[in-house]
Amino acid sequence: MATKFAYTWSAVLGCALASGAFANDDVIKQTQNAKQWAMQAGNMSNQRYSGLKQITKDNVKNLRVAWTFSTGVLRGHEGGPLVIGDMLYIHSPFPNKVFAIGLEDQQIKWKYEPKQDPTVIPVMCCDTVNRGLAYAEGKIFLQQADTTLVALDAKTGKELWKVKNGDPKKGETNTNAPHIFKNKVITGISGGEFGVRGFVAAYDINTGKQVWKGYSTGPDNEMLIDPSKTMTWTDGKMAPVGQDSSLKTWQGDQWKIGGGTTWGWYSYDPKLNLMYYGSGNPSTWNPVQRPGDNKWSMTVWARDVDSGQVKWVYQMTPHDEWDFDGVNEMILADGVNVKGKPRNVLVHFDRNGFAYTLDRATGELLVAEKYDPAVNWATHVDMKTGRPQVVAKYSTQANGQDVNSKGVCPAALGSKDQQPAAYNPANKRFYVPTNHVCMDYEPFKVEYTAGQPYVGATLSMYPAPGSHGGMGNFIVWDAGTGKIVQSKAEKFSVWSGALVTAGGVACYGTLEGYVKCVDANDISKELYKFKTPSGIIGNLNTWEYKGKQYIGVLSGIGGWAGIGMAAGLEKDTDGLGAVGGYKELNKYTQLGGVLTVFALP
Amino acid sequence: MPAFLALVVPHLQALADEPLYKVEGGNKVDKATLEGWRTWRALACERCHGPRQEGLVGPSLLESLRRLSKDEFKQTLMKGRPEKGMPNFDGSKMVTENLDGLYAYLKGRSDGAIQPGRLEELK
Repeated sequence: MATKFAYTWSAVLGCALASGAFANDDVIKQTQNAKQWAMQAGNMSNQRYSGLKQITKDNVKNLRVAWTFSTGVLRGHEGGPLVIGDMLYIHSPFPNKVFAIGLEDQQIKWKYEPKQDPTVIPVMCCDTVNRGLAYAEGKIFLQQADTTLVALDAKTGKELWKVKNGDPKKGETNTNAPHIFKNKVITGISGGEFGVRGFVAAYDINTGKQVWKGYSTGPDNEMLIDPSKTMTWTDGKMAPVGQDSSLKTWQGDQWKIGGGTTWGWYSYDPKLNLMYYGSGNPSTWNPVQRPGDNKWSMTVWARDVDSGQVKWVYQMTPHDEWDFDGVNEMILADGVNVKGKPRNVLVHFDRNGFAYTLDRATGELLVAEKYDPAVNWATHVDMKTGRPQVVAKYSTQANGQDVNSKGVCPAALGSKDQQPAAYNPANKRFYVPTNHVCMDYEPFKVEYTAGQPYVGATLSMYPAPGSHGGMGNFIVWDAGTGKIVQSKAEKFSVWSGALVTAGGVACYGTLEGYVKCVDANDISKELYKFKTPSGIIGNLNTWEYKGKQYIGVLSGIGGWAGIGMAAGLEKDTDGLGAVGGYKELNKYTQLGGVLTVFALP
Repeated sequence: MPAFLALVVPHLQALADEPLYKVEGGNKVDKATLEGWRTWRALACERCHGPRQEGLVGPSLLESLRRLSKDEFKQTLMKGRPEKGMPNFDGSKMVTENLDGLYAYLKGRSDGAIQPGRLEELK
């Protein structure tokens, strides 16, 4: 123990002497070098865009596999590789192994495998996924499933510090990637299906000391909300949220087990010093049991990175009745033309099927439109109140407990889940991997026991009826007008993070296991397709090494799409019969984590 | 002594004859079995064992219930199999109170007598 402390302190001192600057200066610098992929989303704006252009729409058809690497782990592989200098860092699902691989010879330079109590596995809602690592100032950050946040020396893999972020005995686990903004590691929490009270927390990157923690629900001071200064969209304009904005929207103490977890992809605007993220579903999934708007679950948050103070909030789905988590990524884009005016915006493709464009400085609601025509639970978002206009027959609250509400679109896994979209600054358009799935939803009464599932609904999911029969689409979206520019049908949900490059290609993975690259200006043109060893729920990243551009992706079927949803499909559903989705997926792929790296010959 | 035996044996006999569950039409079951199904649903067992108990990341209970004795079943529920990802449910009031009903329900599913999905009470 003593030696560990000594090591930690010398490391802290070393960093302080070496840099003196904020970590995000380092990370921003690293991400500005297009030859690297230094953050999970490529940059602070969550754009998943690369300036590299060796691989173009004309030569992408010649891509070849350059090398592959097995993680040796089964179950769902989300996230993707980081590349800094001549090193590649890759992670695995539970037990959350980390490998540092030299790009020169693809040798494992170091390997790290934390010891974790396996009792954490059953408390993880939707497979034992992990969405990847973070890098800053010579350190690699890993957010383990058991909530331990650990900093490793990027050169040696030695532990520098670790800190406990939550308690798995209460159902708290982690699946999200850590995010480095300024001199802080920002992380969230999972466990919305176990009655966890969501929060985000910031830790000092050099010491692991907690700097601030802001909850999604509860008293103002615990959420770091200032009732007179924190703003929200009210009656067509921004206004202060007022006192007890969360407490007033819950019955009794329900906010304490109210969900609003935070396992998505966060973004950061250095000029505004604001970080953006979404909070998830309120617990339980049975809406009848938790009257009120359940604030601030299902909300877009803007927090000051230094203090954690909330600048503004916007709740997308008040009083959720369908498990439409608001955690999906917040993408920042500049100069997007909204009604003839260029705006610096935040764009968010929510699980509820609406894509939101907000002014990211003020939080004003600019656009809210459906990004899948199948969406039927609400007719539209009222632009004055900001509230979705719910269709009565799809209201699981109105239909009540022990009643099966049928044909709700989208399904609980949303028109899109965590699989992150990409933004192309060249044409100011978004490339969005989506689900095209509907559901039957039957809520029932459930009691809370710490550490036990607190779900309270039975679901059955199937491809959107009356459509192309597939369960996914890859779409191009105009966030200024709120319109689908182009849509490419897919057999299964597109559960892989997209990539768009200056070379004019957009790439994504499929659940069958294909990597596909399309023309960024006409996504109907499929230019390249390769079958990787397993279904893809990971994200495509790109980098350059010794003059050659590479594209890398993790395959390894699993996650909610690969296991949960597919399983639901085996259940007979009225009018549709056994769709056989799971069996169908079984024909294409089996478990197993492999990183596949592509390059031109 | 004989009198004592005379009292006990018929009682044991009665117990053995008492069916584990009562079911009609595949979806109407006795109260205890219904509570067993409700427990299955509330504890979200389908997340690992599948909505039809056919197995998912966890094993098929249609198979397991043919092998496991009632004691082994109870032991697994109470203590879990942490190394395999099966949690212990001894902290759940609903499970401890409805253990027999849950066993009856899953046995009924395994026997093919009870249908998957929603059940109603047999009046």
